[in-house]
Amino acid sequence: MSWKLAVVAERCSGCKICELVCSINRFGVNNPKKSAIRVMVVYPHPIIRMPIVCRQCKVAKCMENCPTGAITTKDGIYDIDSEKCISCQQCVTSCPFGAVFLHEEIETPFKCNLCNGKPRCVEACPKNALLFLPEHVLGQAQRMTSVLKYVHMKEVEYVEKGERKVLRYADIEKGKAED
Amino acid sequence: MPTSKREKRKIKGGYFWNILWVDLDHGEAKPLEFDEAFALRYIGGRGFGAKLVWDQLQKGTIDPLGPENLLVISPGPLAGLYLPASGKTSFISISPETGIYGDSSMGGSFGAELRQAGFDALAISGKARSLSYLWIDNGEVRVVPNEKLKEKGSLESEGMIKEDLKDEHIKVATIGPAGEKRVRFACVTSDWGRNSGRTGIGAVMGSKNIKAIAVRGSKDLPVFDLPRLQKVSEVSFRSLRENKNFAFWQEQGLMSVIDYVNEAGVMPTYNFREGVFEHAKKINGYEMLSKYKIGDTSCFACPMACGNVCLVKEGKYRGTVVEGPEYETACMFGPNIGVQNFAAILKANQLCDELGIDTITTGNLIGVLMEAQETGLLSEKDLDGLNLKWGDEEAILDTVHRIAHRKGIGNILAEGSLGVIKQWPQLRPIISQVKGLEQSAYDARIAISMALGYATSDIGAHHARAWTIAKELEMGMDWPLEKKADLVIYHQTLRPLFDMLGVCRLPWIELGFNEHQYAEFYSAVTGIETTLDELLRRSNDLYDLTRAINMKFGISRKDDYPPDRVFNLAMTEGPHAGKILKREDYDAILDIYYQKRGWTKDGQVDKKKIAGFNDPLIST
Repeated sequence: MSWKLAVVAERCSGCKICELVCSINRFGVNNPKKSAIRVMVVYPHPIIRMPIVCRQCKVAKCMENCPTGAITTKDGIYDIDSEKCISCQQCVTSCPFGAVFLHEEIETPFKCNLCNGKPRCVEACPKNALLFLPEHVLGQAQRMTSVLKYVHMKEVEYVEKGERKVLRYADIEKGKAED
Repeated sequence: MPTSKREKRKIKGGYFWNILWVDLDHGEAKPLEFDEAFALRYIGGRGFGAKLVWDQLQKGTIDPLGPENLLVISPGPLAGLYLPASGKTSFISISPETGIYGDSSMGGSFGAELRQAGFDALAISGKARSLSYLWIDNGEVRVVPNEKLKEKGSLESEGMIKEDLKDEHIKVATIGPAGEKRVRFACVTSDWGRNSGRTGIGAVMGSKNIKAIAVRGSKDLPVFDLPRLQKVSEVSFRSLRENKNFAFWQEQGLMSVIDYVNEAGVMPTYNFREGVFEHAKKINGYEMLSKYKIGDTSCFACPMACGNVCLVKEGKYRGTVVEGPEYETACMFGPNIGVQNFAAILKANQLCDELGIDTITTGNLIGVLMEAQETGLLSEKDLDGLNLKWGDEEAILDTVHRIAHRKGIGNILAEGSLGVIKQWPQLRPIISQVKGLEQSAYDARIAISMALGYATSDIGAHHARAWTIAKELEMGMDWPLEKKADLVIYHQTLRPLFDMLGVCRLPWIELGFNEHQYAEFYSAVTGIETTLDELLRRSNDLYDLTRAINMKFGISRKDDYPPDRVFNLAMTEGPHAGKILKREDYDAILDIYYQKRGWTKDGQVDKKKIAGFNDPLIST
C-alpha cells in the first residue's frame, strides 16, 4: 500500500518548523534553505501559506525528464541518486509543483523521500497541516466536506428525550445549492 | 581570521563572529569581527545593540535623526534555530521619540534570514545620498538607490522590492511614508505586517534615507551540538502542544487578552480614564473569529501561531485585510478611543501598517485629543478642523493619515507626546506617557508593580519589559512592596534575556514554558555549559548598561514616575472604581527598587560599574 504526504494549506501558519526538521534530518544542519519542503507565502497579503512538497506522482515528470536515470522509484517513493545525477536540473524545472530543490552548497538537486516512511515534518507540524495518509483515503476528506456543505443548507430543530437537537437536510424544493 | 584564534575560543557555536557594519556616508560595508568576551558578556540581540550604541555615544553627542545615530539590527545567537519561537530580532538606536535609549523587537523571519546571510548583527551609520534600500545577498552588500519607493506603503514596498530582486523568498524590512517623513513613532515592518513598533526606529531609518533592508541568506546556522538541541527542542515543542490552552491560543492569539483585561477592569478606556469598556464583546476574540478571521500566521519556528489574518467582508471597510490586530492595537484603537466596531479597528490597523506608524502611540495620542476636545483643553482652532468625538471612525482614520503625512495638526502629533506637550503644555496631565513613550494598553493605577514596570522601563512606558499586572491581580494586591519590586526586577531581567537570545517571550508568559530550557538551548548551541541564573546575570548587567546610556541624557529619579493619571484620577466603574495609587507608596517602592538594583537614591548606576562598559570589546 502506498502512503502519501498530503497538505491542508488552509491550516498552515507559515512557521517553517517543517523546513527546519527536514534540513536537520536530511542534511544534519539547521538550514531551512536545505529542506525538501518549502512554505510559500503569497503576496500581496499573507492569505495563502502553502507548503510545497513532492507528491510522489505515479507518472513522474522528474523521472521522465532525467537523462541519466538518476531518479528511481521504490515502494512509490522517488529519490535522486546523487552518484548518477549530473545536476542538469531538468527535474527542477519539469516538476509542475516546484518540489525539487537546489542549494548553492549542494551539488545535486534534492527532493522529499518521505524519510523512509516516517516523515518528520508531519510529526512536527503544530497545525496538523501535513498529513501522512494511505493512498485510498485521499479525497475522502474533500468528499465529506462537499457533502456536509450541501446538507448544511437547511436545519430543523427538534427535541429528543428532553434534549434540543438539530437535523440538517437538503431542501429538494429549491433544487440548487445556497452558499 | 587566523585559525588559531578560532580554535582558542570556548564558544563553539551560535555565532558567525561577524557584525556587518554599513557606513552610508562613505558607501562602505565591512564585516566587523568581535571578541569572544563581547559575545559572552552581551550574548547578542539587544545586548549587542546597546553596547554598540554605548560605544557610539563615547564618540560624541547623538541627534537621533542625525547621521551619527547608529541603527543596530540584531537577532541573537538562538534566532533562526529549531527551537520554539526563534524568530525575534531587535532594532536598537537612540530613539527620536524619547531622545534616549530605544529599541523594539520584531517577529516574523527577518532575523533568521539575516543570520543565514552570515551576520550576527547589522549596524548602520551615516546617511545615503538619496532614497535607497540595502540589499544583503549572503555576503554581498549593496546600497540600491530607488526613488520609485518614495512615499510608498510599507507592504507595497515589500512587494516592489521582491519584484525588483525577482525573489519571493527574500525577507524585506521596510518603512512607510511616515518613516520617510521622520514621524517620531514610525515603525519598521516586515513579512506583510510584523512590526518593530515602538520608539520610532522607522524614523531613524528614514533619516538615513534607507527605505528598506532586503536580505537573502542561505548559510547553515552554527550549532555546536545539533543532536542535543534537537532533543531539547522536541521536548519543548511537545510541552507547548500539550498545554491545555494551546488550541485556544492558536485560535485567538493575543485577542484573547481583551476579555481577560476587561473582566479584570484594567483595560484602558476613554484615554486611560476607565478600566472597563461596555462594548468589549463587540471587539473581542470571539467577534474576530465569527466574522473576520481568515487565517493563522506564525513567526519563524513558532508553534503558537498567535497572528490572526483578518478580512472585512462587508460594509464600508470591505476588502480590508490585515495581519492583526494584536491586543494592544485592538485596545488602543478600540476602547481607548471609544470605537466599538471591530471592522474600523482592522481598517486603522491596516492603515498604520501601510503608513508605518506605531498603533499604540497613535491610539494613545488620538485618545488624548478626544479628551482635550471634550473638556475644552484644546480649542476648535487648535484642532485644525478636526472633530474628534469618542468613537468617530472617520475622524480617527483622517487623523492617522494626517500624522503619517505630517499634515496640519498631524505635524504636531507626529512629534510624539513630548512634542505635543511642548506645543500644548496644558495637555501634560492627561497624556499617559513615561520618558516620552506613550503608555501601552494595561492600566497601572491599581497595580503598583505595573506602575513601577512602566516607570522604570528603559525605553519608556512599554509593557514588554515588565508585564506584572497579571501576577499582581492573581495574588491579590496585598503583598509586600519588597516582593513586588522583586517581581518587576525579575521581569526586567528575564524579558531582556529573550531579546538578547533572539526568541519570543510569549511561550513563557502565555503557555508557561519553562524558562530554564533557554539555558539548555544556549548550552547546546554554544558549547558553553550554563544555567539560567548565569544568563540572567548578563541580562541584569544589560539593564545597567541601558540605564547608563539614559544617564548620559540626564535621566534620573524624576523620570521614573508613572503617568500622572495613576496618582490623581480614579476610575468610576468596574472592580477598581475609586482606587488610585498613593504617591508615598510609589516613592517607597522606587526606593526599594533602586536599592535592589544597587543604584543610588537618585537612580544612578555606580561609576565603577559604568566604567566596566568601556572595555574595548571589538578589535578592529
